[in-house]
Amino acid sequence: MRALVAAVAALAAHPLHTTLTELRYQDGDRVVEVTVRAFADDVRAAVGRELTDSTAFGYLRRTFTLSDRAGRPLGVAWCGLRRSDDVVWLCLRAAAPDGTSGLRIRAGLLFDLYRDQINIVQVTARGRRAVLLFTRDEAPKPLP
Amino acid sequence: MSELWAFVTLGFRHITDVAAMDHILFLLALAVIYRLRDWRDALWVVSAFTVGHSVTLALAVTGALVLPTRLIEFLIPVTIVATCVENLVVRRRRGATGGGRYRPVFAGVFGLVHGAGFANYLRSLFVDRVALPLFGFNVGIEMGQIVVLLLAGVALAALDRVLLLVTRPQGVGAVRLRVVAVSTFVALVAARWAVERSPF
Repeated sequence: MRALVAAVAALAAHPLHTTLTELRYQDGDRVVEVTVRAFADDVRAAVGRELTDSTAFGYLRRTFTLSDRAGRPLGVAWCGLRRSDDVVWLCLRAAAPDGTSGLRIRAGLLFDLYRDQINIVQVTARGRRAVLLFTRDEAPKPLP
Repeated sequence: MSELWAFVTLGFRHITDVAAMDHILFLLALAVIYRLRDWRDALWVVSAFTVGHSVTLALAVTGALVLPTRLIEFLIPVTIVATCVENLVVRRRRGATGGGRYRPVFAGVFGLVHGAGFANYLRSLFVDRVALPLFGFNVGIEMGQIVVLLLAGVALAALDRVLLLVTRPQGVGAVRLRVVAVSTFVALVAARWAVERSPF
């Protein structure tokens, strides 16, 4: 009985394990800008070190992929880290001269940390909005 | 996927995941005293919980109400223990105060506490546009609760059948035994959480 109580009690983790990513295609510059909002504690735990531009960028490059229709990863540039209370904002940019058509994305942040992690990606391109959800073990998805 | 449906999915998955065990156990504690034929009473109680839960979620996410996270995280298991204690203490519902009709009020008040539990997470992430995520997430939560309750109803009915084999064939003893067993177990788990999360 004690073991069963302890086992169920261990499942108490009620936090909402999610991140919110906004992906915007900027027509003028032909650039995709990605902003990830995540809880700072979670990202710090996943990175395993203090959050700096360098550690955050390294983690994002490992877990967030943006590839073209042939499956080649797009080159991404870091555009900064911002903290606001318990949330961090991480920013990436990638050149997309042909627009978002055919691009594939996978937001795999924190899957190594939480089994129930769900990452939300809000896509805005050419005046249209759509949302993608990513759960663990999901393959990259085409941008809508 | 539409934006609204994404947040409905998020709420639904969150509540039906075993990681949200405190919410699931609270629903179980609310439902355990009812038999399938008492579904109307169960619906009243769960609806009251939903109303309370939605009110605080809306107030807290929009910033109209600021609640200390540690206190809320502590109060959530306390509400579960209180529900279980009520299950154990009140043996005859018909003879209870107000014919046991205070239970939806209890559930509504406890729902206020549980709603605040989600609010801090939503408010932190969806700082600029919170209305749609809030609405979608809440709809998903309610849909998930219905699924959890249906599964709990089936599981409890199955438990009754097993208990009938070890108690008297009339079934009265079986339901009481079910209430005692489930409420005791859930109370022990929640008490452990309350101790772990105590801000004092």
